[in-house]
Amino acid sequence: MKNRLRVLRAEREWSQADLADRLEVSRQSVNAIETGKFDPSLPLAFKLARLFDTTIEAIFSDEAEAWLHEKSQQNDKPA
Amino acid sequence: MEREINDSALSRYKKRMFVLVVILALVSQLDFWEFIRHHPTGALAYLLAVLPALPFIGIMATYGLYVAELRDELVCTVVKTSLLWSIVATLSVTTLWGFLEMLANAPHLQPLLVLPIFGIFLGIATTLVNRRYE
Repeated sequence: MKNRLRVLRAEREWSQADLADRLEVSRQSVNAIETGKFDPSLPLAFKLARLFDTTIEAIFSDEAEAWLHEKSQQNDKPA
Repeated sequence: MEREINDSALSRYKKRMFVLVVILALVSQLDFWEFIRHHPTGALAYLLAVLPALPFIGIMATYGLYVAELRDELVCTVVKTSLLWSIVATLSVTTLWGFLEMLANAPHLQPLLVLPIFGIFLGIATTLVNRRYE
């Protein structure tokens, strides 16, 4: 699953350890989520959304969603 | 904090393990001494024979408690995945060895060795699964 966690974290100038403290998880967890190696549970995803004052969809997107977005952009292009 | 909860889960696990290992050492020593000196038989022999197994069962229960007390999702996933892989590996090896014993006259594998074999596989699996998330 793709996510914008690194960008959102960078905007606030937080280190992975800062974010881990705020989420009350290990730094290893934050790193694994950022690199897409680990998908967080729904409660943790909600916690992330609340922390960044946004929605879960604005942080995470699955492959199918990315493909649909790309497809719609291609369709919008003039022939 | 969940990191502290994880750390305290690990700390409690280590304390429980220490107590159980001490009990195991004492019970084993006393048990073997009793068997060598008095050669118990019948029900008493059975009772004394199972005594050293109880701390081992306690060690497994302690690990179960440790898993239940973990709060960090990633650590929990690593531990549970490693447990699954080590169970599969242990069952595979013991099944293979069972057929080797039955059909090819391979040396008998003591059932007592299953737990150390599982421990070795758990160590290997934990290292490999951890690597996946680094």
